[in-house]
This record gives sequence, structure tokens and C-alpha cells, in this order.
Amino acid sequence: MKRTGVFICHCGINIAGTVDVKKVAQELAKHPGVVHAEDYVYMCSDPGQNLIIQAIKEKNLDNVVVACCSPTLHETTFRNTSKAGGLNIFRCEIANIREQCSWVHKDKSSATQKATKITKSAVEKVRRNESLEAISVPVTRRALVVGGGIAGIQAALDLGNSGFEVILVEKNPSIGGHMIQLSETFPTLDCSQCILTPKMVEVSKHPKVKLMTYSEVQDVSGYVGNFKVKILKKPTYVDPDKCNLCDECTKVCPIVVPNEFELGLTGRRAIYIPFPQAIPASYTLDIKACPGLMPIACGKCADVCDVKAIDYDMKPQIIEEEVGAIILATGYDLYDKANMAEYGYGKYADVLDGLQFERLCSASGPTKGQILRPSDHKEPKEVVFIQCSGSRDPENHCAYCSKICCMYTAKHAMLYKHHVHDGQAYIFYIDIRSGGKGYEEFVQRAVEEDGVLYLRGKVSKVFEDKGKLKVWGVDTLTGKHIEITADMVVLAQAMRPAQGAQELAKKLKLAMDKDGFLAEAHPKLRPVESVTSGMFLAGAAQAPKDIPEAVSQASGAAAKAVTILSQERLYHSPTVAKVLSNLCTGCGMCVQVCPYEAIAHKDGKVEVNEVLCEGCGTCSATCLRAAIQVKNLTLHQVHEMINACLGG
Amino acid sequence: MAKIEDLKEEARKLLREGKIKYVIGYAAGTNGWMASPIFIKKPEDVEKLVWDPTCVHNLSRFLVDEKRRKEREKQPDKRPVGIFVKGCDSRAIVVLLQEKFIDRNDVYILGISCEKGGVVDEHKLARKLEGKKPKKIELGDKGQLVVTTANRKAEFPVEELLAERCLECRANFPVISDIMSGEKIKRTVEKPFGSVEKMERMPKEERWRFWKEQLDKCIRCYACRSVCPMCYCDECVVDSINLAVSADTTAEEKADKVKWIQRSAESSENFVYHFVRAIHLAGRCIDCGECERACPLDIPVRFLNKKLEREAKELFGYEVGFDPAQPSLVSSFRDDDPEDFIR
Repeated sequence: MKRTGVFICHCGINIAGTVDVKKVAQELAKHPGVVHAEDYVYMCSDPGQNLIIQAIKEKNLDNVVVACCSPTLHETTFRNTSKAGGLNIFRCEIANIREQCSWVHKDKSSATQKATKITKSAVEKVRRNESLEAISVPVTRRALVVGGGIAGIQAALDLGNSGFEVILVEKNPSIGGHMIQLSETFPTLDCSQCILTPKMVEVSKHPKVKLMTYSEVQDVSGYVGNFKVKILKKPTYVDPDKCNLCDECTKVCPIVVPNEFELGLTGRRAIYIPFPQAIPASYTLDIKACPGLMPIACGKCADVCDVKAIDYDMKPQIIEEEVGAIILATGYDLYDKANMAEYGYGKYADVLDGLQFERLCSASGPTKGQILRPSDHKEPKEVVFIQCSGSRDPENHCAYCSKICCMYTAKHAMLYKHHVHDGQAYIFYIDIRSGGKGYEEFVQRAVEEDGVLYLRGKVSKVFEDKGKLKVWGVDTLTGKHIEITADMVVLAQAMRPAQGAQELAKKLKLAMDKDGFLAEAHPKLRPVESVTSGMFLAGAAQAPKDIPEAVSQASGAAAKAVTILSQERLYHSPTVAKVLSNLCTGCGMCVQVCPYEAIAHKDGKVEVNEVLCEGCGTCSATCLRAAIQVKNLTLHQVHEMINACLGG
Repeated sequence: MAKIEDLKEEARKLLREGKIKYVIGYAAGTNGWMASPIFIKKPEDVEKLVWDPTCVHNLSRFLVDEKRRKEREKQPDKRPVGIFVKGCDSRAIVVLLQEKFIDRNDVYILGISCEKGGVVDEHKLARKLEGKKPKKIELGDKGQLVVTTANRKAEFPVEELLAERCLECRANFPVISDIMSGEKIKRTVEKPFGSVEKMERMPKEERWRFWKEQLDKCIRCYACRSVCPMCYCDECVVDSINLAVSADTTAEEKADKVKWIQRSAESSENFVYHFVRAIHLAGRCIDCGECERACPLDIPVRFLNKKLEREAKELFGYEVGFDPAQPSLVSSFRDDDPEDFIR
């Protein structure tokens, strides 16, 4: 019989306080096959680990069981210890007698009994473990970044500067994301374009970065280190190499549609450049707006183009790329204002959202930086800002806090005062969340220097009255009803995951949280990793974030991607599913349930791709015939573990 | 009205042209009245085929045996097998296709609609005839059952003689076939789960007593498993002595065969056997009722499966055996699954 050594940790008094560890050791010593059993105050300490190594050598142990805390904490520690003692790492198993025993029980004698059973079951399991070696695969040392906003740009730059090739995919005609639409940024009020455009230029000219705008990720297959990506490159119908930006085409285009970059405050033509500093600097023909790609339908733009840059025959292309890591920086969109009927959005031209207000403040915006009412182009003298519009309202809208609205509303009010000196800004707020370097001081500045009036309460209704907007609200500090006759209302809309991000997440099999943001692997310890290994998260795709946070997360994601790309080979846990072909009937239920697409039909049976398999065991639980089992957690092992627990 | 003649003609033609290997159908039983399965290899034997309300067997079980046979043969005859199916039987074929156990090209399906009839329940019939032996049972043109005995001819409404499952049937005509006879009459079933509901109305303790009494009878002859078209596993997880061994099965694998239950037909072991079997049939059982018919101890096995059929329908909107392309119940997951049953 295999020789097993059992090591019981006191974990100070964490375990020993509730479990009689000496008794557990005595009981285990009697268990068949156990040739060594001892307890120690801190098994994970250096002397503790040395006890294990010594025992392996002296008692010639085949297997090691450490009865201690959860395997998530110290399985690796003790497996490495066993390896140092000369054993295969799978010859070591953890019996969790802390989280699953001492911490949840009070009665010492029953807890001791339970700890004994848990440990015995681990002895039975380890005895039947296979000595496995890690599966190794080569790494494709390139990365894909999805989303060309500030987070995506930063991640691509960091990866490029680390010496790895990067493909940066952006669905819009230009990179820049929402940040390029902003006027100034809090808390320093530096111009958003001025700080972003150099980065845009840098990333577009970076020798390691391949920029693909107006493109969308269609499909991702493969696994960490070896993803295969299909990217759809939509036709712009304009050859950027030939286009000399003469702008003649827009002058002749007869079609006008709302300008997305200006959030509908102005119009654009069917052929357009999103904004003058767009990268790539080229025009795009919006096929949805264009009357038809043939001279008979219109053809005016092609007629006036001297350099013949317009090519109606351009076709969508599917480009296939291979990458080792993927960073998702798909960003956000504002919560649909159609949901905010009580604030009259869509009904009244002078009810705007935060991004529209940014455009009004922006020197490059539709009003060239003058704050004017969209309805009559007059300067608004009283402006009401409504915070938490759609946020923090679990009954009707989004339950979460959109995090940046307190700060940007303070900024908006401040910018407004800088443009309209005799104006008055009112801000309705629930409370002010200004955690961040220089943030609280910024809000104070808005109040003290710019005389912004903060009103604590919610707005119940906004309606039009004699050309003005009546805002009804309540000041919860005084308990009084408030009525403000305003010229303009600005809603700090909640942030939502970007349109299309959820479909993309489904294609990539990325987990999403309850609000549809991409879920991180661990909220505290793995905040930039997704649940799928090799895929990382950056920016507002994961949760509402401001610029510095998005940038730091992007750099974090890039650093995490580098930990993969810098390897020659990757090692994968060998505890994967295995098909027992004499039992398999090829019904394919496991193929359907596998969350990693690791199982495929083959010759009337199924086959496991060991590199894709994460050993989750879903297949094993689904199979009616027990024809697929996870290595080192076979049904036989489970059966023996149950037997050991039942005292058999 | 379903006419066996059309199907016979087709079967004869297929056999004559050698397009099918053989036909599985029903022939007059040796006891005079109950139809029994027949395998017909020669066109001239097609005459033996019959169709009446005593054709109770779900012949699709024989497809499982056919597959096994083919696997054993070195040079198997890969021609399809002709098979007569009722509505319920056709759904069994759909599940076999869904689970990729057989290929659509393996079968030539000769479907017959039960129309407003179904198959008779032997027990009900025996009670009605008070021990007299029927000679012939037919579906009358007014939807009644006409029973001929040695000295008289009696008519009964279908409700009085049909099997319980037929009265709860929602697929009384084949859902898949290559040729079909009879009309696709949709009949209204007021309480598709009436029998289960009756069972559920029993107080818990009484229900427990009932099942204990029933399952205590079980001698674990495995007739229910043997007759079931879905019980096609080579090795049954709840049968400790049945072991699928192939040329590459190692001694270790044989030794590692987990004995989840004991061989002995004791109460606790019987419970595990029947409950595991029921769970393994969830989303797969098409309610052909063969398990219950085959049981020599008259254990109402069907209720267990019917209960799970209802759970699948009510919790997940899942109906078995209508679409071979749909993912099976236990392997499908919807993002909007409320998971109410966990809370």
C-alpha cells in the first residue's frame, strides 16, 4: 500500500482552538496506509514545511496530506514543499479543516470528529491521484486590444513599448473614445483633446501597433496564449492613403444625419470625418445614410474627388489574426435618456446630457466654446444640473453609483461660470462623492469660488413653461419644495456598458456582472483579469471609472498581458477531463455544457482539448454514463472519499 | 383513418428493392389478440403485419439492439432498418437522434397515427371482460373500441380501455416519419399531467408509504431498463454488476468501477436505483409507458418519469422528443433562467 504522511496544522488557535489536533493525528495514524502523522503550530512556516520534507525523506512517503486552511490559500505552498521533498505535486492534497471545520463549529469533540473525517477522505483521495505533469503550450507573442478609447490606447502603448506587437481594434471610424469628446478634465481643468491627441498620434504611428478602425471583433477561438481572432473590417469606401482631406466631398453630399460626435447637436453628411483630429485622418462613407453606392443613385462625392480616393466597390473584409492575450477596453455609453421621461429629455431641446454639455463647452464644439441654448441660441442664465440621473435608483434605473458624475457635474458648473460670469448654476445631488487626489478641493472650489449652489435632494419633474424650464425638486436639508425657473437642464446620466459590449462578451464567453459590465476574476485581488484566462479588462468596460482610473487599469491590464506574452511557453494544469471511451456514446451533452468549448465530437465519441479544458467538471456532472471524468477527481475517488467520511 | 395497407405496400417495395435491411413491425400475437413485435426480412412476409390498439410495444428499443449488432459486426450491413412507429415511439427516435445515438439514415420510419385512439391497457381490458378472452380489438368508426370475444361483440368508449398514458398523450401522431398513414388529428387533452396531480394530492407521509410499498416489491430484474429505448448505456451507473469492457479496458479501470448501490434488492437500494433512473430520464423520457408495462411486479414506474416531464415543462418550458436539433434538457442553459428552485 502507498505510504501516506499526514500533517495537521494548528494555524495558531484558528484550528487548534476548536479541533483537538493531537487527537486528529492519533486517529489518522491508525488509518490504513498512513505511516506518519504529526501536528505543528504553523505548517506553512519554514520549520513546518521542513517537517514535511524531512518526513518524506525519512519515512519514504509516497503521498502527503496537509490538514490546514483552504486549498486556495496554501495548496500551491504545500505542493511545492512536496516537490522539494522529491514528490510529484499531485502526490500532495489539502484537507480543509479550517474554513470547512474549525471556523464554522463550536463544539470541540464534534469538530475534531469532522476534521478527522475530512482528513481521512483526503488520504483516500491522494492515494488514488495520478502523478501528472503540467501541460505546456507555446505562446503567440502578440496582443489584441479591443476598444480605442483612452484605456485601449494606453494598453496598446504599454504593450507596444514593452516590445510586443499589438492589434488595436476600434468600431468607430476614429480612435479617441468618449474622452476626445470632453472639453476639460477634472480636477485640473486641462483640455481633454490637448492631452489625448498626442497619445492618439503616438499609438497610430507606433511601429508595434497595428491600428484597425471601423472594425469589429467577430469571433474568438482558442485559449490563453493562442487565440484566433476574426475581425470584420467594415468598408469606409474611402482610401485613406489617397484622401488628402480637401473636404470637397462633404460639400456636395446631399444627405444630412445627426452627428454622433456632437451627440446630435449638429448634423453631418453621409460622407464625413468624425472630427478634424480624427485618427486615421480620413473620411468615411456612412452606408446607412448614403442613398446608394452607384453613380445612378448619387455619386456626387466620387465626382468631386480629384485624387480618386472614393471607391464604391470596397467590400467588408474578415481579417484573421493570432494573438496570445486580449485586453477588453470597450468602454461605456450613457444610460438611455429615453428612460428619463420625468426630466423631459427628448421633449425639450434645452435638457441635455453631460456629454452634450461637454460639446457645448468645447472650443471645437458646435458653438465654438460658447454655452448657448440649443433651442434659441441664447446664453442660459440659470442652469440646473441633476446628478444621479438614472444612477442609484434600483427600483427604476441602475442600482449602482456611476462614480464620475459628482466630479464632472462640479466641473460643468465651474466651466459654465467661467463662460457665463453672471449666470447661476444649481446642482441637485444625493450626496457628494469626491474621493480622489485633489477631488474634494475641486468641489469646494466650485462652491466657494464659483458660487455654485448645491441643493441636496432629488428632482421630481422638469417641464416647460413660457419658454423656460421649470424644475421641481425638494431640498431634503430644509425639507422645502423648490421650484427653479431654468434656461437649461443638464442630466448627469448613469454610465452603462457600451452598446455591443454585451454581445461581444458573449462571443468571447466573458462573464458579466448583474449590470452588464465585464466581470473581473476577483473584485479585490484580480481586478484587471477576466474569468477567462488570457483576457484582461481595462477602463469603463469593467465598471464606471474616471480617466486616471481607466488609464491605470489599462496599464495594469497591459502588465498582466505581458506576464503571458513574455513567456516562451505556458503551463496549464493537467487536472483536465478525460473521456472513458468504452462508456461514451457520443450524445454530446458534455459538448453543449462545456463553458470553454473544450470538448468536440470525434468518431461517434467525444474528445477533450486538454489545453482548453479548465477542469471545472461540468461535463462530468452532466454525463449520464460517468463517461467523462476529471483527472484526480474521478468518481472512484469521490466514492472512496464519501466512504471515508461515512467511516467505511 | 390510418391504413396499414399503404404502409405494407411501401414496406414490400422497400424490401423488394433491397433499400432496407428488414422491417420491425407488429404481428398478431401468439395468444390470439395482443400484437407482438415481428422482424420481416422477406417481402412475402409483409402480409403478417397488423395494426390495431394492441400494438403497445415501443419498437424503437430494437434500434438500440440493431446499433449494438452493427458495432459487433466486422462488415455490417449499413442499410437502414424499416420501423413502424406510433406518435410516442417516433418521439423516442427523435431523442435517439438528438443524442446522436443513431443517424437519421439508419432508419426508415413508417409512421401510423393513433388518431383518436391509442393502445389498450391489458388490466383495464381484463377487468371489463371479467376474465373472458378477447379475440379482436379494433378502433370503431365512431371513435369507440370494438372488442370481439368468443361469443359477443362489445363496444366501449376509448377512455375506459386505453392506457393512462394514451389519455394524457399530446403526440398521437408521429412527429417524424418517412411515410405516414392516418390523419394528424390534434386532440385536446385537458389534464396532460392528471395522473401525476392525483399522486401529488396525497399527503407527504402517505406518498412516502405508497412508494416504499411499491419499490419494496422491486426484484431488480431490470425489465424496465431493458425495455426502455433511452436506457441504452453500455454500463449502468446504478447496477454494480454490469460492466462495459472493451479491448482497452485496463484491470485498474475494472477494479475502479464504482458500486454506488448494492446488488441486493433491498428497500434503500431499490430507491436509489429507481430514482437515479428517473433522474437520468429527465428530459429524455417520452412516456411510452413500456417500463410500467414490462414490470412483473406492477410498480407504477411511469409516475416518476411523468413527474420529471412535468417539472421540465413547467420550470424550463422543455418538451421532449419533438425536435432532434434542440439541445437536451440537462445540457441547455439559458441566461435568463430564474433558478427559482435553488432559492
